[in-house]
Amino acid sequence: MHKYMSRIGLLVVIAFTAGCSSLGVEPWERDVLAKEEMQLVTDPVEAGIDDHIYFSKEASSGGRGFGGGGCGCN
Amino acid sequence: MPRQDKTAIAASLASATCSLLGTPAATPVQAQEEPGWDLNTALLYYGENDDRVQDVSLNLQAIRNFVDDRLLTLGLAVDTLTGATPSGAIPFDGPQTFTRPSARSTYTTPPNTIPLDDSFLDTRVAVNASWQQPLGRLYSIGAGLSASNEYDYMHMGANLKLSRDFNKRNTTVSAGLAIAMDDLSPVGGAPIPLSQMLGEDDRSNKTGDQSKDVFDVVVGLTQVINRNLLVQANYSYSNSSGYLNDPYKILSVVDGTSGDPVPAAPVPGEDFPSHLYLYENRPDERTKHSAYGQAKYYLSGKVLDVSYRYMTDDWEIDSHTIDARLRWPMGDRSYLEPHLRYYTQTAADFYRISLVDGEPLPSYASADYRLGEFDAVTVGMKYGWKLASGHEMSVRLEYYMQDGDAPPGQVIGNQALQELYPDLDAIIAQFSYRFGW
Repeated sequence: MHKYMSRIGLLVVIAFTAGCSSLGVEPWERDVLAKEEMQLVTDPVEAGIDDHIYFSKEASSGGRGFGGGGCGCN
Repeated sequence: MPRQDKTAIAASLASATCSLLGTPAATPVQAQEEPGWDLNTALLYYGENDDRVQDVSLNLQAIRNFVDDRLLTLGLAVDTLTGATPSGAIPFDGPQTFTRPSARSTYTTPPNTIPLDDSFLDTRVAVNASWQQPLGRLYSIGAGLSASNEYDYMHMGANLKLSRDFNKRNTTVSAGLAIAMDDLSPVGGAPIPLSQMLGEDDRSNKTGDQSKDVFDVVVGLTQVINRNLLVQANYSYSNSSGYLNDPYKILSVVDGTSGDPVPAAPVPGEDFPSHLYLYENRPDERTKHSAYGQAKYYLSGKVLDVSYRYMTDDWEIDSHTIDARLRWPMGDRSYLEPHLRYYTQTAADFYRISLVDGEPLPSYASADYRLGEFDAVTVGMKYGWKLASGHEMSVRLEYYMQDGDAPPGQVIGNQALQELYPDLDAIIAQFSYRFGW
């Protein structure tokens, strides 16, 4: 079962990367993408604070990165 | 050749070599090492309604850029927490007395109000360090360590990430692993699950320290769609095992007809709880799966950041989270950023408002409001500006609201007259300062 799943996973990755090859920009067209405000996480400290608040108050965590936690939040 | 000439040639060769190796070489090295340390600091106030949890938090993050895109990140967070938190007991038309977790004293809550345990006071210190560097031309590897300490909780964690670029670096595939080993030393000891809350100085139902392990896997794909659009998709798996209870949460044992808490038998000469309360019990394993998607879109100076997460777990909790931010420039040096977040979750299958007296005890039960069914909305605004020195500042003010309901099938008798779910309102205020050093 595990072998089967990992093969499917590998196929999905290959399909994605092949499908994505027609998308994107040339290296000299990265002016906008290089801007600080276009990074996936613009403010890592704020993102960490928010993850910690929502981890403490809701039953979900993670998604963007690891699950977070490391607190006995009441 | 005369000896003098030889010396002259050697001297001029040396000077030429020095000028080749020395001065011109120094400039590119300096340029690559700039800006040295990038320091992010933030002061946060988080405050809940009804004198519930108040947190003042100081956060520091220092990033050092070395040559060849090697990156060292160090982080520190100090939280000072005070306030009260819902114990899990239900309100009714009379006062209720509870024993504090330490078993050193008792406290009484007024009629018709959700019982809050006000013995909550803690300082949390968290540190982390990570290193990231390219591995060959297309791979990047990162490794990190984290630790945190509270009065009753200690966390140690490690993580490893690997990513590879494809298609002129327009596609990045990444995978990461994280493990955490946490130790709990609950105040007064960890209660025996589903045991009754005892009187003052009686710790016969308390046991020693507990532990839990968390194992996380994240795989992701980041794709540049065009010059103005970037998207990311992640799948994450998280497994927690060990002691997953909240050692301070209890459930009211109620009469099957009136729905009111059952009075406890008095113990002569002792301070003891007024009613029957049992400590909660959760399964000792939890597996979560999440799918996450994010898009960043640049539209004539403005940046729209939208994300969605779906989470499901084997406690039967499903959740949806939608988050949207719009960064709107105001002149060259400042911006406004409105923020909207919506969250909704279903209840854990063992979430119970109360336990009915005389009925067989379920294997697992918790009245922790965070395991109930609720919706939450965050609305916020951030204003950021850049100083002439290049330093950046921002202020953020947000309002967080949770709105939940008791499962209708669980409400018994007089419970219908009470507010059973402790709705939450909180303010998040933050000041950030960022500078190079």
